[in-house]
Amino acid sequence: MKILVCIKQVPDLESRFKIAASGTWYAAEDLAWRLNEYDEYAVEEAVRLREASGEGELVVLSLGPERAGEAIRKALAMGADRGVHLLDPLSHDKDPRQIAGAIAEYARGEKFDVIFTGLQSQDRGSAQVGLLLAGLLALPAVTTIVAFSHEAGLVTVRRELEGGARAVVKVRLPALFTCQLGLNTPRYPTLPNIMKAKKKEVRTIAVTDLPQVAALVRTEKLAFPDKRGAGVVLEGATSEVADRLIAILKEKTTVLK
Amino acid sequence: MDFRLNPEQSLIRQTVRDFAERELAPTAALRDEEERFDRALMFDRLAELGLTGIIFPESCGGAGADYLSYVLTVEELSKVCASTGVTLSAHISLAANPLYLFGTPAQQERFLLPLARGERLGAFALTETAAGSDAGGTRTSAVTDGDHWVLNGNKIFTTNGGEAETYIVFARSDKAAEKHHGISAFIVEKGTPGFTFGRKERKLGIRSSPTLELIFNDCRIPRGHLLGPPGEGFMVAMKTLEGGRIGIAAQALGIAQGAFAAALTYAREREQFGRPIATFEAIQFKFADMALQIEAARLLVYQAAWRADAGLPYGQESAMAKLFASETAVRVANEAVQIHGGYGYLRDYPVERMLRDARITEIYEGTSEIQRLIIGGAVVKG
Repeated sequence: MKILVCIKQVPDLESRFKIAASGTWYAAEDLAWRLNEYDEYAVEEAVRLREASGEGELVVLSLGPERAGEAIRKALAMGADRGVHLLDPLSHDKDPRQIAGAIAEYARGEKFDVIFTGLQSQDRGSAQVGLLLAGLLALPAVTTIVAFSHEAGLVTVRRELEGGARAVVKVRLPALFTCQLGLNTPRYPTLPNIMKAKKKEVRTIAVTDLPQVAALVRTEKLAFPDKRGAGVVLEGATSEVADRLIAILKEKTTVLK
Repeated sequence: MDFRLNPEQSLIRQTVRDFAERELAPTAALRDEEERFDRALMFDRLAELGLTGIIFPESCGGAGADYLSYVLTVEELSKVCASTGVTLSAHISLAANPLYLFGTPAQQERFLLPLARGERLGAFALTETAAGSDAGGTRTSAVTDGDHWVLNGNKIFTTNGGEAETYIVFARSDKAAEKHHGISAFIVEKGTPGFTFGRKERKLGIRSSPTLELIFNDCRIPRGHLLGPPGEGFMVAMKTLEGGRIGIAAQALGIAQGAFAAALTYAREREQFGRPIATFEAIQFKFADMALQIEAARLLVYQAAWRADAGLPYGQESAMAKLFASETAVRVANEAVQIHGGYGYLRDYPVERMLRDARITEIYEGTSEIQRLIIGGAVVKG
């Protein structure tokens, strides 16, 4: 079984963000970086599948600047066999089609049986790269998976639908899956595995050496949301306030339904 | 000169930080309150992550990482739970490291391997009622009897005491020798007849780390459990403590940063006179001094670790790192409480615990006064 997992390095969401001078993205300075949360689920599921299948290979790929190598190292320490770094210092300016296009250029020749990606990145949040990649490689794609099992080329997954419903989907390999919270609990890379990952191969390919893909989407402007107004303060006797609160919760939320 | 971490060190720091924030932080206050050592969390989980033998080669059951990785680990643990930080520091630096430095291959196979793998917890017993900073006052005795050593006496203030399976114990093996001569180091296993535990100390801080008295009453151990050359126990202890100081320095550095982060979060949210208190110069000056001291401490601690990795002497540098980092931890935690005002005095906020935890770092594994003696002596000697 040959498995690909695509990952992205994103800022720690606890960071204090500033808009970059370009006005179309956040400033990269002074941020702490980590592996995109949804990609952690993807890596974990890929490692489990790799361990269960016993043979084959798990390749981790990231498109990004130099520092994205840190995310690749983490995936290698979690159990990936080798890494591919599509080096692109300007990846933040690329649209999903361009990113999926570059990955497809690499992946086409490798004939992967299974491709995992995160559902979306925590910074751009377009949730398109996985689907576009499947499209470009003419693979079936199942998104938002929360359970995965494999038997003899047939994969059964559960997908998360709106309102907490689940759908069971069966798909023949090769196929691509985008991974959602709840799929698994990602392992910590152990220290011995971190040390061993140092010896694993990471191949760096400059995206400028791959066929160029035109952007379909351009970011016009990035801005912080307007400050929200102060919340609603309910005043009065406790029982009366409670009734009004229940009415509001029933009307505006689903928690009491 | 390069002040950046290498990719492995960055990943180790991130991993331990994630573990500490997700798994240690939620129970740190409660464990402190209950004075409870949670071995499954505070040691067994560290073993699963491969952190119980960081600095030892793979052949000894370790991970083959460097001292800086060890420092980063203890630092990250101590940011949220100083008790877990000292558990690991005492295990690695004080119990496993003397076995690595002075153990025979057979002793390493039998004792170091399970410690490094985290199958057993280690402890170090030097201090006695009359032998604190002055290890020459050691009264616990060891006499030969056939194929055995027979130990008698008491050890106090043993970190990981009661919980640990493997103890490095110092005892006077030559009654005729004086002061720090005639002391030897021994390996004693929990469960050995004649080896029992006394009271568990009730402490100001690091309350979820157990500190116990050890009692030896005609405790017979095999002759092969002598660690290092006979009569050279003082040297074994001092070499061990050189490395131990780096661990405690890292713990202090972690406490300082934990308190700093808590104070910063609080100051940005807490409003007085219609604005966040972080916008007041009086508060910003505090943060300036705290940040400065933490950064200076970090450079000293990382430098000491770097010297250890480079195979350079580091006794003086580890003393400087431990002294400065521990005093920084106390000062920063104290200011963090001040920034919190009345809330900082309550157990509802973590800075109260951090201030109590910080205080011990100026005392154990060589008091600040002893560190100054070490540094001053080395400076004057040239």
